Amino acid sequence: MSLMGKLFGKEQGSASVARDRLMVTLAKERASNAFPYMEEMKRDIIEVIKKYTKVKDVTITTDKNQDIDFIEIDVALGK
Amino acid sequence: MGEIITITSGKGGVGKSTTVANIATAMAQEGKKVIAIDFDIGLRNLDMLLGLENRIVYDVVDVMEGNCNLSQAVINDKNTKGLFFLPASQTKDKNILNVEKIEKLLNELKGIYDYILVDSPAGIESGFEHSVYLADRALVVTTPEVSAVRDADRVIGIIDAKSLKAKNGEEVEKHVIINRLKPELVERGDMLAIDDVLQILSLPLIGVVPDDEKVVSATNRGEPVVLNKESRSGEAYRRIAKRVMGEEVEFMDLNEKKSLGKLLKGLFR
Ligand SMILES: Nc1ncnc2c1ncn2[C@@H]1O[C@H](COP(=O)(O)OP(=O)(O)O)[C@@H](O)[C@H]1O
Ligand SMILES: [Mg+2]
Repeated sequence: MSLMGKLFGKEQGSASVARDRLMVTLAKERASNAFPYMEEMKRDIIEVIKKYTKVKDVTITTDKNQDIDFIEIDVALGK
Repeated sequence: MGEIITITSGKGGVGKSTTVANIATAMAQEGKKVIAIDFDIGLRNLDMLLGLENRIVYDVVDVMEGNCNLSQAVINDKNTKGLFFLPASQTKDKNILNVEKIEKLLNELKGIYDYILVDSPAGIESGFEHSVYLADRALVVTTPEVSAVRDADRVIGIIDAKSLKAKNGEEVEKHVIINRLKPELVERGDMLAIDDVLQILSLPLIGVVPDDEKVVSATNRGEPVVLNKESRSGEAYRRIAKRVMGEEVEFMDLNEKKSLGKLLKGLFR
């Protein structure tokens, strides 16, 4: 917004709302789009771990750091 | 060897076919040998934009199925020397395309033309996959609107997943075209600005086309707006074509119609 706009307290346009909504939505969508076969992978991982030990649940989270994608696999073993 | 450039988008109706018709025309005017292919199987419309709808005998599927030779299906443009067109099939099911046949056709075209511009269907169904499979580069068209930008983001994310080039360890070169920008709305803060869109999509820009009534009248006539030397949108497409051909061209100032009032206001920024 121009200085004049700021001085006279002009209301923010709808474009900034659009930008904010897109940023939030896309951040979520990108995470889920990056690995479309996550559920299948989770099932397979559980099967493999079961061969060696108990497993209660597997949680997979994705992350991005600069140009590198990460997945984190958390395995909750049963009691 | 010719270069295959796929023009694509997430959302439909954002201006892909208009972009193909205009960039192809502009490149041919620059002396290149260009073919525009309509890959939107079942929804033919590039023919109307080029004004070639009455000359269609065979289509792209006929060529791939071997019902005719390539030269029987390719249509010479009526306005521009060096521009050729291969129409989509209207009747056939789009699942009829298969990768081997597409590869054979496009490789043949690469030996004949400098640029092969592929008009892709919107979205991410099978037609989309086929049109990006052999792309050397992709131009992603979006309007500065939330739904178009959101769907563009999705498509950008899967271009490489569907491309042969990416399978071979290379990357498909990708650029954004922002279409139908309304500078007055941006100025007022009621339309996403160019920088907003680029920041969100994190891709380089290859051009911005203003919203222009002349596009509509050009479409009515079947004469791409680049043929109109006075039009702003035509100038924008011409510059995009040059950039695609590797020239460095300044970006247009889309706010040209500034009134004195606006100019004064600009001083206080
Ligand atoms: N820069 C523009 N200014 C005004 N109208 C446009 C512009 N670009 C495209 N249009 C119009 O938008 C509509 C959709 O364009 P089209 O190229 O058919 O989109 P797509 O191929 O992505 O579905 C058409 O009616 C076209 O005339
Ligand atoms: Mg189209």
